[in-house]
Amino acid sequence: MKLLYKLILVLVGSVCMNTYAQMPHDAIYMNKKSICIATTYSNSQWSEYWENNLKRENLNIGTYTMQSVMPMVAYGITKKLNLIAGVPYVWTKTSAGNLMGQKGLQDLSLFAKYNMVQAENGLSLHGVLGGSVPLTNYVKDFLPMSIGIGAKTFTTRLIVHYKHKSGFYITAHGSYIFRSNIKVDRDAYQADDRVYNTNEVRIPNATDVAARAGYYKKGIQAEIFIDKNTCVGGDYIRRNDMPFPTNNMKSTGVGFYGKFQPKNIGFNLTVRRVIDGQNMGQSTTISAGFLYQINFRTKSAEATK
Amino acid sequence: MKKIHLSLILLAALSVFVSSCNKELEEPLKEAYIPAKLDEKGGTWKTYILAGSDEVPVAEPKATNSVEYQAEITKLKTTISTITPENKKAVAYWGAGAVYRWNEIARELSARYNIPPASNAEGKYPAPDAANPLADPKFPFANPPYVARALAYLSVAQYDALVAAWNYKYKYSRKAPSKNDASVSALLPVSDLPSYPSEDAVVAAASYTVLVAMFPGEVPLLDAKLAEAKNARIWGGMNVDSDIAAGDALGKAVAAKVMGRAKADGMSASNNQTVNAAAIANAKAMGLKSEWLSQEFPARPPMLPNYGTVQTWNFDRATMIAMRPGPPPALDSDEFNKDLDELKKIDKGQTREQARIANYWSDGAGSYTPPGHWHRAAANLCFKNKYSELATARTLALLGTAEMDAGIACWDTKNYYYYPRPQQFGLKTSVGLPNFQSYTSGHSTFSSAAATVLGAIFPSEAEKLKAMALEASNSRVYGLIHYRFDAQTGLEHGEKIGQYAIARGKADGSGL
Repeated sequence: MKLLYKLILVLVGSVCMNTYAQMPHDAIYMNKKSICIATTYSNSQWSEYWENNLKRENLNIGTYTMQSVMPMVAYGITKKLNLIAGVPYVWTKTSAGNLMGQKGLQDLSLFAKYNMVQAENGLSLHGVLGGSVPLTNYVKDFLPMSIGIGAKTFTTRLIVHYKHKSGFYITAHGSYIFRSNIKVDRDAYQADDRVYNTNEVRIPNATDVAARAGYYKKGIQAEIFIDKNTCVGGDYIRRNDMPFPTNNMKSTGVGFYGKFQPKNIGFNLTVRRVIDGQNMGQSTTISAGFLYQINFRTKSAEATK
Repeated sequence: MKKIHLSLILLAALSVFVSSCNKELEEPLKEAYIPAKLDEKGGTWKTYILAGSDEVPVAEPKATNSVEYQAEITKLKTTISTITPENKKAVAYWGAGAVYRWNEIARELSARYNIPPASNAEGKYPAPDAANPLADPKFPFANPPYVARALAYLSVAQYDALVAAWNYKYKYSRKAPSKNDASVSALLPVSDLPSYPSEDAVVAAASYTVLVAMFPGEVPLLDAKLAEAKNARIWGGMNVDSDIAAGDALGKAVAAKVMGRAKADGMSASNNQTVNAAAIANAKAMGLKSEWLSQEFPARPPMLPNYGTVQTWNFDRATMIAMRPGPPPALDSDEFNKDLDELKKIDKGQTREQARIANYWSDGAGSYTPPGHWHRAAANLCFKNKYSELATARTLALLGTAEMDAGIACWDTKNYYYYPRPQQFGLKTSVGLPNFQSYTSGHSTFSSAAATVLGAIFPSEAEKLKAMALEASNSRVYGLIHYRFDAQTGLEHGEKIGQYAIARGKADGSGL
């Protein structure tokens, strides 16, 4: 409650200017000393999943739902260097069976995004470094009910962006995500077709690549995207077994992202549907965010390219 | 441009830093030791299946000054001089102990096969087929009763075979190669235990014979393990070929006799699903208002409902029936409501510590099950106390038979009372719901029997073991799949069961 109170104070007391909310995977930047606060609600559901490569339903799960609310804050250190932090509260449930839902604060993430090259013709290159740490000691291996797998992560990402003066743009990015080992509650577990007699679990690293195309001008943004998240190695869900954090999870998704932020207040909407995968659910995710932009400088500049 | 270079260099440097982070898993190393005691009189200890330690004959070995033995020593030295780093790794691995490693292998296979069959398109659950073990569903479904039994036969075969081996070792008194010839360089510590027949080969062959029967889909893996276990003794300069060959033959012959009991112990009828109707009728006649029902979709037949009729080890059937726990509380009684309320409270606000305990002991699908958990604890205690192969096998046989007895007696109780799980009263679970009756708790029975047996063998650990059993029992309440009275009664039942194994151990002539 205290935090909420402070947040309201900040909102009311600040001088608001029209810069635009941004993400760790786009090419949009905050102005120097401006802040964007966003809260995103996400709802992700699946009723079929890939057990290794076998697509199946599970009558003892029915429809699985993971929901989250994530407060985010983005800050412009300079117009070319932004910080973005977020922490989601996550909760899970199933429509059938008797697996107990899990809930809690998940991982704090922090990203720094830097505009490395900005050519006059609209082409730009951006580097992102980021990481995440679990904020709470949630249960990591009660999948799919666990709210996360509990690894610390470190992300390196390159973004290539081209924006035409008309407002149309294309973006592509590739990331490598280092993921730390985790400790689970048990001291022996089965993975890689063997038993490990330890409580430490090796988590495969991951990559993510995406291509986006859209239009962005004057507070309106609309894009379509395709992305692919892939573990680098890992094992697979065995026949009729439960998933485990060591699994080689892969998903290819397509989706839409839209944002409307004419002034300091804005909204965004993301819809993503998994079209192919392995060792995970075929989820449909809908996220809706509320954005609020603050600029501490009395004089503003157009924040985006 | 300078700035770009800087950020790229920074990026690369960070990548290198992170990728150099060590992701290797550290598992406890097990270094070979000289046993604290050699158990010289082990050949006289009471066996389970063998009528005596000389029931399977082992021929007298060639004298150490014979041409044949000297030729074996020469060959051994040649082999040692040509071993590879991989060979050395195998020597060190098996150096932890033959019983220790084969028990670990058995637990690993148990975990690998511990997955309930999936339902098919008709909504049925096809039974695993021993004749076609790698088809879907794989044979076996290594659930707790199955694993309890597999580990019991494994440990009994190892023990009986080692008692026989000890008899011949001290009868023939052939020294270890490095004690006969100082120029043989052994890679592991060498005790004064006579080397013929090789105890490692005895254990390997006995274990192989049992495990091939229990996990028929794993013959290639077991073939490789058997060959490596025997070769490691040669690579390490610990045995000559004739030590190994005699041990191999003895181990196989004894295990074949042990498997003779297994084939006739009633396990083949343990999944007889026709017993359920009569069991439900009986429980209802005793006043049960609503019986256990599978909570899975589609409903899955209960796990091995007739396992309670399998032949026990340390007491007979009449004794088992006589010590069967009394009836659980009636479903509308205050006692029932009190324990259901405890679960409802946990359902609303399970603490992280309760979740941790529930997870630590869950030993569910994909694990080596509670009997495996306790075998691991026992094997580590034997290792820590520098037990001989024979004393280790004895410990695991006492534990293994107690665990199988616990499984049988608990399944008899479960089937007798046919009591519903808490999930039939609207509760969820944080560990997965076993598909069989609630009363009494299998975890509690297994754990209490194990802690009782191991506490008698390792008195200084008794208190700790008892606390572990209590925690294992509590874990089922914290995981919301057992009422407090299931757990409590299981603990009491398990202790009684364990006492029978202790009585046997006290009378086996070991003096331990």
